[in-house]
Amino acid sequence: MSLDRLYLDLLDEAPTAPPPGGRARLLATAAARRRPAASCVSWARPYAGRVAAMDAVFASATAWDVEIVEGWNLQELLGHLTAKDGLVAAAVGAPVHGPPITVDEPMARTAALHAHERSRSLLETRRSWRDQADALCHALAGADPARLITPGGLPLPVGDQILGRALETWIHTHDTAVSEGLNLPRPTAGELHPMAGLCARLLPVTALMSGLEAGNRSIRLTLTGDGGGDWHLPLLPGAPSSVYDGQEVALSLRADAAEYCFVLGGRGADHVWEAEGDLSLAADLRAAAPGLSGP
Amino acid sequence: MDDHLFHRRVVSGDESALGELYDHFSALLHGLALRVTRDRVAAEDITQEVFATFWERPLGFDPARGSLRTFLATVAHRRSVDHVRSEERRRVGALAPRLFERPHDLEEAVVAADEVERVRQAVAGLPDALRQVIELAYYGGRTYREVAVEIGVPEGTAKSRIRLALRRLAETLNEEAP
Repeated sequence: MSLDRLYLDLLDEAPTAPPPGGRARLLATAAARRRPAASCVSWARPYAGRVAAMDAVFASATAWDVEIVEGWNLQELLGHLTAKDGLVAAAVGAPVHGPPITVDEPMARTAALHAHERSRSLLETRRSWRDQADALCHALAGADPARLITPGGLPLPVGDQILGRALETWIHTHDTAVSEGLNLPRPTAGELHPMAGLCARLLPVTALMSGLEAGNRSIRLTLTGDGGGDWHLPLLPGAPSSVYDGQEVALSLRADAAEYCFVLGGRGADHVWEAEGDLSLAADLRAAAPGLSGP
Repeated sequence: MDDHLFHRRVVSGDESALGELYDHFSALLHGLALRVTRDRVAAEDITQEVFATFWERPLGFDPARGSLRTFLATVAHRRSVDHVRSEERRRVGALAPRLFERPHDLEEAVVAADEVERVRQAVAGLPDALRQVIELAYYGGRTYREVAVEIGVPEGTAKSRIRLALRRLAETLNEEAP
């Protein structure tokens, strides 16, 4: 309404600042209402940010008993996230919350967490989940992101494991937001770019897992929007990916960065990738892409 | 001011984004709350509460539905009106019957109804040259550039004339504030 804008503009011309000290008071109040992202090393920030975003969705969530995904309600979903975060925490030597880990396997650990949380309130479960996530963030201060670890049997360097946790937290945050009718904004570019990079590097892995014989070919993957980028991905197992720099490729793919990550995460079955070049290879890659996603 | 970016940063738990928003909007929201409540303590508390609530539940804001400035101002206005009403009830006394309550959605605006009339009168009282630019820019929805073309002056002149008119309006409203 035009009068609203006029009113705010004229108040802006004669501002009456609140008394000094308000900013510091606000930051203290705010941190007590919803925890800020845990302070952590730069390569773990996408994870800390997605954890804070999940907490923000939780703060607006009202349908606590509704099934969100995999037959799980909000408490069970948080239990699942806590379970998988805990396996990574154990692998990097961070404190593990909840019952001791007996089997290093995601679904067994999820079942253990579900059993443990069932008698507790949702708010207690929220606190345990957040404590586990923040403990993992803090423990990464001295960690080597290139060290290979295998929590739950998945061999990846620590840095990629954490990006994987960021991705799964984001996808389940999105599931919760959809279930609640909330509009979750995409991550900041600084958070999204490393997650998109992980999902780009995982594309040849999903192709391999699906039995695709791609030979010595490579593709160009262009992810658009804030946080996107341009990658050169050899499909030969073990060949390193890099920033695209004019290399000869069999296929060029183009997709929105956030939507692409969701496809790798098993969401957005209707998302289409623009393809140029070997279109049958494009179809095979697209079909194989969600192969690593699971609960 | 990129509303989308600030929203993303707040959702991601970035405290510095909240601090920047406070720097940017606290004087506006405090001024708004002060005009409605005429109570310095209440205005300060309302300003704090608007930002803290936005931090706690940032998904309550959807950038597709309007600007962050209007959203925060609307919340500040609603809380200010709530404060005035509860003060009135307190003064009247708990035993006095509440004959009617105005429904909340009628108040979902930035400007209180009595302020609307004061703003309109203040605009009408402006000198012609200033009234013309305000009417074009706000009632007519023109951009600064379109206002400049319409009245045949450089864009910079139109912009400074609009700001002068806004300051004049702000002064008039402050003088009239009971």
